[in-house]
Amino acid sequence: MSVAQKRLLDLIDVEIGIVRPRRKTLVIVKYANFSVNYGEMVGVVGESGSGKTMLCRAIIGTLHRRGVSIMGGQVNFEGEDLSKINEARWKMLRGKVIGYVPQSALAGPNPVLTIAKQLAEALEQVDGTGSMESRAKELLDLVKIRRIDTVMKQYPYQLSGGMRQRVMIACALASRPKILIADEPTTGLDVTVQSQIMDLLKEIRRDLGTAIILISHDLALVDEVCDKIVVMHAGATVEVVASGNMSQPRHPYTIALNASRIDIAKPGGNLTIIKGNPPSVGQWNPGCRFVERCDYREDDCNVGEHPPLVGEKDGHQTACLHADKIKTI
Amino acid sequence: MSKENLLMDVNDLSVTFGAGANTVEAVKNCSMTVHEGEPIGIVGESGSGKSTLARVLAGLQQPSAGKVLYRGENVFTGNKSYKNGFRNQVQMVFQDPYGSLNPQLTGLSAVSEAVRIHKKVGSDEAEAIALELLQQMGISRLDALKKPRQLSGGQRQRVSVARALSASPSVLLADEPTSAIDQSAQAQLLKLFQGLLGEGLAIVLVSHDLGVIRFLTKRVYVMKEGLFIESGDTETVFNDPQEEYTKLLLASIPGELGKAARAKLKKS
Repeated sequence: MSVAQKRLLDLIDVEIGIVRPRRKTLVIVKYANFSVNYGEMVGVVGESGSGKTMLCRAIIGTLHRRGVSIMGGQVNFEGEDLSKINEARWKMLRGKVIGYVPQSALAGPNPVLTIAKQLAEALEQVDGTGSMESRAKELLDLVKIRRIDTVMKQYPYQLSGGMRQRVMIACALASRPKILIADEPTTGLDVTVQSQIMDLLKEIRRDLGTAIILISHDLALVDEVCDKIVVMHAGATVEVVASGNMSQPRHPYTIALNASRIDIAKPGGNLTIIKGNPPSVGQWNPGCRFVERCDYREDDCNVGEHPPLVGEKDGHQTACLHADKIKTI
Repeated sequence: MSKENLLMDVNDLSVTFGAGANTVEAVKNCSMTVHEGEPIGIVGESGSGKSTLARVLAGLQQPSAGKVLYRGENVFTGNKSYKNGFRNQVQMVFQDPYGSLNPQLTGLSAVSEAVRIHKKVGSDEAEAIALELLQQMGISRLDALKKPRQLSGGQRQRVSVARALSASPSVLLADEPTSAIDQSAQAQLLKLFQGLLGEGLAIVLVSHDLGVIRFLTKRVYVMKEGLFIESGDTETVFNDPQEEYTKLLLASIPGELGKAARAKLKKS
């Protein structure tokens, strides 16, 4: 397959902002760059406020509901720019071609509907053969739920957190989307349940060929399950790296993030804290947005625009003016 | 561990909720000890009874059976002045930094209120002590004057720790202190706890995050369905777990250690 054929989603210099009456427009994401190939699993990591969830919303087309909009750049999905399409077209894509698993599994499902009705709602939107019930059961089977007949009659409150998240994934899979966006799907769940959900996502990817974007702030998790990792800081992509290469980061922020993670394989271990706090949303100084917290900063770092993401697409990309120097340190 | 530095001695503790057919045994016959300056971990999944146990240790929940001794005296039957003394000595930091701080109070007023009550000092003095405590926790004067909603999750959690420390406790009970905050904020909080341990404070850390447990604690209790199924030296439990459940917990960790544990689990 040529590169153009295998590219499913391509974000180029995406800028997201909130237009506020009588006040300056607040830019929350600027220079978000990454791509997802067919069947690829991509992890997006960053601190709270780095714009991860906003990017998610941009891809599933629910931004404008909050007065937020894509102000620049392109969100290319199979050659179509999602930032330019209207609501009628979104209705054909959202939840159908582009699936979404929300962050809070506990609040996700509708509390007053049984699981069967819940799935039927999702299935009504798509064509298919066979009775609604058999299709719903097939979905539950797909997400490895046992005791399907019992679960179909139950309400969300009767299910554990892990089961609820499985149901949410089943709903998202009803239309067999080409891409599934999972926004912190295991936050608030136990480690054992987290590892089950991750196994499930890997199986879905393998068996159905669904591309998956996994949003998380857990570096170790993303490094293990994804093919590629996108690091976001203050609304910009600062590094794109193949998984397994997290031990050789080139961007100072990724290096700092790595050092602040507990190495569970070693007892005691050392923890290095990232200096200062992330910049407030939209309150960025000129140049690199990490400069205030950076150990490798030089005089040219805080002038001009944010450094561009340099490197081969599908390879290791870094948005740092001095990445080459850091590589050799 | 000698008897002299034994702070808390928990004997055969059980907690049951409800009555009749709906009885839930949240904690069953748990026994544990906490010594001066010792970091202890309690690990388990949600619903295993960790938080209930922590609430009993803090004196917030009556046990149905068993005893909690603090420096040799029963916490739940002692007289009032003893109870008040105990409340100072064992302080708790809660899981949810959003819910455990009064949204109307600035960090400074929340902490100085606690200082005023515990140290019985005037409000000016209390404020000075509170500010110093907050600064030790890495909260600047400017941030101390902000209300919880203006602070980040990590900052909020550090204000909670400052408030707990205002009573100069000997034991800090931390119930999942890192589960609602970012990795970078988590690192900050853990460093802080390390510093406190160095000053001789005992910490009981309740968590389902094995990484945090291994980083901070020396001894760990593994809890499942209200029971302590395994306990011992943290390193021994991590390197040579005896119970199936502990092995499963270790195998669920993303990364190298989990991989090794998964391989071992498959072999057996």
